[in-house]
Amino acid sequence: MVALKLIPHLLAWVGIVLVLLRGFPRSRSVITAVGVAGFALGVAGASILLRSYPGEISFGIIRGVVAGVFLLLWGVAVATIYRSTAREFQIFSGEKLVNAPGYAGSVAFLTSLIAGAVCVCRLPVIDGATLEFILLVLASVALSYALAYGAKAVEKFLPSAVTVSQPALIVAVVALLLFSSSSLIRLDIFSPLSMKVMKFAHDFVHQFFESMLIPDHLFIRTYLWGYIGLLFGKEVGFWGGLIIWFTPVVLILLAIRFEIMPSVAHIRQGAQRRKVLAAAIRERRYRLVIPLLALLIFAAAAYRSSFPSVEYWDPKPLPVLANEAGEIFIPRKGEIDLEDGKLHKYLFKQGGKEARFFVLLTPAGQLTVDLDACAICKPDGYGQAEGTVYCYYCKTLIPLETVGKPGGCNPVPIPFTVKEDGVHIDGMTMINIWNTTVQATTGTKGGGK
Amino acid sequence: MSSTIIETSGLTRNYIDICALKPLDLMVPDGEWLSVMGHSGSGKSTLMNLVGGLDRPSAGSLRVGGEDLLKLSEDGLARFRREFVGIIFQQHHLVPYLTAVENVMLAQYFHSVPDEAEARSALERVGLGHRLMNRPGELSGGEQQRVCIARAIINSPKLLLGDEPTGNLDHKSTIMVMELLKELRAEERFTIIMVTHNQEVAAWGDRTIYLDDGVLVREERKVS
Repeated sequence: MVALKLIPHLLAWVGIVLVLLRGFPRSRSVITAVGVAGFALGVAGASILLRSYPGEISFGIIRGVVAGVFLLLWGVAVATIYRSTAREFQIFSGEKLVNAPGYAGSVAFLTSLIAGAVCVCRLPVIDGATLEFILLVLASVALSYALAYGAKAVEKFLPSAVTVSQPALIVAVVALLLFSSSSLIRLDIFSPLSMKVMKFAHDFVHQFFESMLIPDHLFIRTYLWGYIGLLFGKEVGFWGGLIIWFTPVVLILLAIRFEIMPSVAHIRQGAQRRKVLAAAIRERRYRLVIPLLALLIFAAAAYRSSFPSVEYWDPKPLPVLANEAGEIFIPRKGEIDLEDGKLHKYLFKQGGKEARFFVLLTPAGQLTVDLDACAICKPDGYGQAEGTVYCYYCKTLIPLETVGKPGGCNPVPIPFTVKEDGVHIDGMTMINIWNTTVQATTGTKGGGK
Repeated sequence: MSSTIIETSGLTRNYIDICALKPLDLMVPDGEWLSVMGHSGSGKSTLMNLVGGLDRPSAGSLRVGGEDLLKLSEDGLARFRREFVGIIFQQHHLVPYLTAVENVMLAQYFHSVPDEAEARSALERVGLGHRLMNRPGELSGGEQQRVCIARAIINSPKLLLGDEPTGNLDHKSTIMVMELLKELRAEERFTIIMVTHNQEVAAWGDRTIYLDDGVLVREERKVS
């Protein structure tokens, strides 16, 4: 089962090796050998890191590296489009770097190192067993060796016309790395990016229109907020995220598409001149193939990140009742331990009305009580994955740190009191908040956003 | 005229049970103007189709411009025709809904990339600078044939094949076309192979070969 989960990650690495082999045709042997070493070291290094620092820190480091590589792609894309206008860099020459001995090997090593580390994040962390660790490293060497030399054999059958320019090579490698990491919640950078874009849009609109928040404002009528509210939707984050992801690829595609043709002024014969131009155009067309594929891989990565392959903790809501004072009491320790870090769902019914809510211990060590719904979506509820809660309706991942805070796709927080014995919630308040936020939302928006 | 551009040995073409071209040994030096004469069905067009890479021989060997045409694939033959050969037909085969300049640009398109300025210049060279935007239907027979010449030479072929290029033209137009070919040959230094029924047209060549029933029966060299 674990082996099956590794397949997309291994395929992504094989793709990286293929692109590198095509991008550095003179360094085929170096790339395969160094790639195997990098992959195995990535597996070993990430295993040690995850074992030494269990929890978010290790994943954060690996995610940071992946995000750094994506930022590098942005830099390369901007430089590429800048250079395509025939300007020359005064302080840095890309060709010098690319032609430097060891460049191909370094790129192969670093990308394989990251790919190996990402692969390991899919596996269960090895706790202390040295033998298991050694076996893992040996298996990674054997597997990567077979895959790298398989890729080398396959690469020979690819059409020779398909060439890879350096920016295209980088875009393809980054796309494959992100494809590999995007399916792991803890390494995914797409969803957090989408959320940040959404938050930016929200904050921008909020700050910008703050002075107009008065209900009887001269120009901004209440109904207009229904349209302005669209800016707070998940779509804004999604499309904004897509723009941030795809723009570097599009810039590189444009740079290739509009690159300056070779000078043919010195060729006297018209037919010969046109032949040189036609060859350059044909070559340029083939050089677009890899970045276009990278664009598709980015799209696949974005799609995969919407459906992360994690097991959710999805408890059935337990029915609870209010006492004579109308207070719901949930004991801190009992049949259920509220402080076990898991999501605990409850169902409260009163006078023909009902509300679903959950209690959760946040990473900050504070208990929080929230409706099992947000103020935007249809109330399909939340599941819990590693480090996040997950909206079943809009597939948004919400970090546990932000649960308990109002706004956006966050679960709607409920006022409560924590005492020694447990959590106390006013039942009527619960029902009222559910009715005013969740029911009202589903009523006006016709099934959520 | 030192090197050989066309070299055939035992070149044969059979169509089922008809032998259109019987084993032919022929050598054409680079830059020569060769006229091919003969009656209808004597194998003139068959020879031209073989030399131009439009058809494949049944037997024998055929080297044109150093390339063994028998060994070329279909793609190889297409490249050979595109880059090496220019053809002028008796029927002009111009695209009726394209202008003169567009007809020339079409040949550029199939060769590499179109270049309108160069196409205009080619038409000006053949004396059609004032007819660039006219469609074939708006041109006389001689003018149409000159568009064909511009189209045939636009890709700087090494070998120009003419299949009765003046067959439909009056005497005045014929002389004009032949003068033009002579001038262009002097400038571009291509080899011409021209099939004709007309003794006067054949006389423009450096050498004339006569085919009869697929056999080379006679050869005449121009006395300079």
